[in-house]
Amino acid sequence: MRRLDPGTGPDVTIDFEGKAIPARLGEPAACSLLAAGESVFSRSIKYHRPRGPFCMAASCSQCLMRIDGLPNQFSCQTPVQDGMRLERQNAFPTARVDVFASIDWLFPRGLDHHSMFAGVPVADKVMAVVARQLAGLGLLPDKVEPAPRPPERLDAQVTVVGGGAAGLAATRALSAAGIPVLLLEGEDRLGGRLVLEAPEEHGEARATTVPTDAKVRLQTSVLGLYDDELGRVLVALEHGAEGPRLVLIKSKAMLFTLGGHAGVLPFENNDIPGVFSGRAASDLVLRRRLLVADAPALVGYGSQLAALQRMFEQEGARPVLVLDVRAGSGASGVVAGQPLRAHGRTWVHGLSFRTSEGRVQRVDCDSVVVTLPPAPAFELPRQAGVKVAFQPALETFAPVVEADGRTAVHDIWVAGDGHQPGTAREAIDSGRRAGEALARALR
Amino acid sequence: MSKTLLCPCEDVTLEDVQHAIAKGYRDVESIKRYTGFGTGLCQGKSCLAAVARTLHTEGGVAAGGVLPFTPRPPLHPVELSLLGTVPVAEQLAPKGGVPPALHTGSHSLRPPEPVPERAQVVIVGGGIMGLALAHNLAKLGQTDVVVLDRGYLCAGASGRNGGGVRMQWGTATNIELARRSIDLMKQFAGEMGINVWLRQGGYLFLAKSDKVADQLRKTAELHNRHGVNTQVLSPGEGRDLVKDLTMEGVVLCAYNPDDGVIFPWPFLWGYAQTAQKRGVRVETFTNVTGFEISGDRVRAVQTDRGRIGCDTVVLAAGAWSPEVARLAGVQLPNEPHRHEILSTEPLKPFLNPLVSVLDSGLYFSQSMRGEIVGGMGDPREPAALNQGSTLRFLARFARALTEQIPRLGGVKVLRQWAGCYDVTPDNSPILGRTPDLPNLLQMSGFVGHGFMMAPAVAERTAAWMVKDTRDELFERFNLQRFVTGKLERETMIIG
Repeated sequence: MRRLDPGTGPDVTIDFEGKAIPARLGEPAACSLLAAGESVFSRSIKYHRPRGPFCMAASCSQCLMRIDGLPNQFSCQTPVQDGMRLERQNAFPTARVDVFASIDWLFPRGLDHHSMFAGVPVADKVMAVVARQLAGLGLLPDKVEPAPRPPERLDAQVTVVGGGAAGLAATRALSAAGIPVLLLEGEDRLGGRLVLEAPEEHGEARATTVPTDAKVRLQTSVLGLYDDELGRVLVALEHGAEGPRLVLIKSKAMLFTLGGHAGVLPFENNDIPGVFSGRAASDLVLRRRLLVADAPALVGYGSQLAALQRMFEQEGARPVLVLDVRAGSGASGVVAGQPLRAHGRTWVHGLSFRTSEGRVQRVDCDSVVVTLPPAPAFELPRQAGVKVAFQPALETFAPVVEADGRTAVHDIWVAGDGHQPGTAREAIDSGRRAGEALARALR
Repeated sequence: MSKTLLCPCEDVTLEDVQHAIAKGYRDVESIKRYTGFGTGLCQGKSCLAAVARTLHTEGGVAAGGVLPFTPRPPLHPVELSLLGTVPVAEQLAPKGGVPPALHTGSHSLRPPEPVPERAQVVIVGGGIMGLALAHNLAKLGQTDVVVLDRGYLCAGASGRNGGGVRMQWGTATNIELARRSIDLMKQFAGEMGINVWLRQGGYLFLAKSDKVADQLRKTAELHNRHGVNTQVLSPGEGRDLVKDLTMEGVVLCAYNPDDGVIFPWPFLWGYAQTAQKRGVRVETFTNVTGFEISGDRVRAVQTDRGRIGCDTVVLAAGAWSPEVARLAGVQLPNEPHRHEILSTEPLKPFLNPLVSVLDSGLYFSQSMRGEIVGGMGDPREPAALNQGSTLRFLARFARALTEQIPRLGGVKVLRQWAGCYDVTPDNSPILGRTPDLPNLLQMSGFVGHGFMMAPAVAERTAAWMVKDTRDELFERFNLQRFVTGKLERETMIIG
C-alpha cells in the first residue's frame, strides 16, 4: 500500500481511536487509513470477522465506522476533515483483538439462528439475552444533529441519472437534438468508469465534457423515484459544501445510466481485509493515487481483468497472478481455475486455486483484486415499474429494456451497464442510442 | 475460520444459502427472509446476483423463476433528519406508491402440477391465521387440509408487520386472546423447533390529549381486572423507561411490562413445517379463482392449478378476504388500508419497550437485530389494496419519531415497505360460519393485530371445528352482527 504522489496535498491529522493518522483534506477517510497501513476497519455483524474496505462505493458494509459520533458511516465516502474522530464498532476490547471473533471459530460450519437452542429450557432464554446484546452495529448518535437545509426543487425536461460513459453520451445526444438535460452524478466528478476504471483499450476516448446547456449536479445520488399525490418525484441526496440536503426533481422523462454494483465472487475468505473489488482498486489508483498492492492477485472475468493487469503494471506493481474464473481464456499470462481460497487473517497474504489440470496451486500476494462485470443497478428502474429478469448468461438481474433504451414505462429509459454490462465503448454507444431515441420520442 | 461469504453485510455464507434451498426455500424472497441476506447496510447490492446464481445453478430453478426480491427505497441509507425536511401535503389524501406491483394473473413460480383433487378442509390464505389453523387442526387429528396462498409464505401482512404483541386492549375478549397468544408464543420454539425471539420489553403508550389519557386510564383498569399488569405512569416515570424520550405534551403513559415484540417470519415457517409433517399440504404461488357452490354449500375451490373438492372452506386471506369472498357471492364489510413501515440501520440495544403515541398512531420498537422498526397511520389513507411506499410516509414518520427521540435524527433508514390492515367497521374480527353458506368459515378482519391474535384464535377455531362444540367467540364475532347491529367496538387501535 503506497501513495503514488507522496508530496502533494494539504496534510491534516485524523484521530483513529486515539492514534494520530496523517491524511489529506477531502479524501475519503478510508483512503487515509489504508495509506497509513491500517487493515482492520470493522468486525462483521455475526462472526466478528475482520473486515477492510472492499468496494469503496458504499455498496458493501466493510468500511463502516463511527465517525464524529455518528454510527455506521461509510468511511470510503466520508471526506477527511482536520481532527475527524474515527472509531471501529462491534468489537471488544478492540477491533484488532476482538474476543467475539471466537464465534467464528466456534461455529466453523456457520450458525443457524433459527434452530440454535430452540426450545431448550433456560438455554434459549440465555441465548436471547446474549443475542440481543451482540446484535446491532454501533451506538446511538452522540448528540442531536443540527437541522438540515430544506430540500431544493428542480424541474427538468429530461433527467439523466448517472454521469458515467453512457450518461455522458446520452447527455450529448440529447443536447445535440436541442434538449437540455439535468445530469445527476453521485461522485465528485463526471466520467464513471472512464475515469475510475482501468482503461480497456490503448488510447481510449476519455472525454468527460458535457454540453454547456446541460445542468450538472455532482455528489448527488438518487435515493428513489416516488409516485404519489404530488406526482412522480425523483429524490436525490446532495452532499454539498454546506452540508447535505435533499433535491426533489420532476421531469418529463428520465434516463437511468446507473452502471452496476461490484458483486461478490464466492470463494473461501472472500471477505478478509486486502480483498478489493476491481473498481475499488482502480478508483484508488486513478483518483486517489493510492496503490493497493505491489504484488496483487487479480481474479474474476470480464473486460476489466486484463485492463487492471495493465494498470497495475503501469504503476510499477507486479501482479503475481491473473486468474480467469471462467476458464478457457487464451491471453498470455492468464491462468484459469477455481475454486479459490484466500489466506490471511487481518490482511490477505496468499491465494490458492485449483488449476484446470486439477492441481492446487498457491501464490503469495499482498492483495486480491476481484473483478466481475457489474451487476446492473436495476433497483431504480424496478421502482419506476420496469420489469426485471434474471439473465443466466450474465448471472445477474437486469431491467427489461429495448435496444434503444426504451422500457415498457413511458417516461423511463435505461442505458449502459445498468441495462447490460459490457465494455466502455459499448456503454458509450448504448448511451448515445438511448439519448437519440429519447430525443426523437420527445419531439 | 475459513468461510465463503455471499452476503458479507449480514455474514450469510454460501452454505447458509445452500441450506435454505435444501430446506425448500426456492424463491429469492424466501431465501432473503430465511437467511437474512440482503438486509444489511448495502440492501443486496453486492450479494443479490450471487444468491440468484446459486439458486439457478445449484438449486436448479429455471431463469424465469428467479426473481429479485423487491428493491425497497431508499437506494442508499439516509438520515431521518433529512427525510423530515420533505414537505407533506397533509390536506391531500395519500396516493400511489412504489414499486408498482408487476405480477398479475398466475405467478411465474406457480408449481406446474395440479392441486390435490379433494380435501376435507381448504384454507384460503397462507398467512399466520391460515397456517396456525392448519397446525392446530392437524394437532387435533384433522390432517386432510390444504392451505392455499397466492405468493410465498411471508408475502402478505404476516410478513410485513412490526412484530408487536400486547395485552393492552379495550375489550375483555381481545385481552384474553392476546394473553393466551403470548403464552403460546413462549412455548413456540419448544414445540416447533424454531426460534421466534419473543422479547418482553413492554409496550409504552403515550397520550398527548386528555381524551386519549382518559382512554388509557379506563383500559388500564380493565386490564387490571383481567390480571394484566398495566400501570398508568406520569411522563417522568415513562422517561425512566426510555431515557431519550421527549415527554413534551405527554399527559400520561400506560405501560405493561409483559407486552413485547417477536420476529414474525419464523411463526409462519414453524406452523407450516409442523402442519406439513402431519400431512397438511401447503400450496404457494397458487391463486383462488372461484368457488363451486350448490344450494347453501361450497363444494369446491377453483384455483389456477385446478379444483379442490372440499367439505369446509376457511377464508383467512387478511386484507384480500373481501375480494376472495366476492368470488363466493359473499359481501364482507372489511376494507383494506395501507400502513407503511420502515427499518433503520441496526444499533446496539438502547430501547426496551415498544413505544406508541396513541394520538398520532406513531409506534416504534427496536428489533432483536437492533433496527428501529416503526410506522405511523395516516388518517387520510383511502381504502385500497395498495402496498406501495411513499415519500410522504418517510417525512411524516421521520418528523414524529425525531420529535419523540431527537438523537435518532442522525440514524439512517435502510428500507421502507407497506402492508394492509384488514379493517372492519367496529375494529373487531369476523369469525365463524357465513350466514346462508355455513361451510364457508370466516377468519378475517383483524385490523392490524391478526398476527398477535392468531395463535390463540387458531387454537379456539380448530377446537370448535373438530369437536363441534359451542364457543361464544364465533357467535359474538359472526358476520351476522353487522345485520343485527350488535357490534363489538375495539378502541385500542394504533394508527
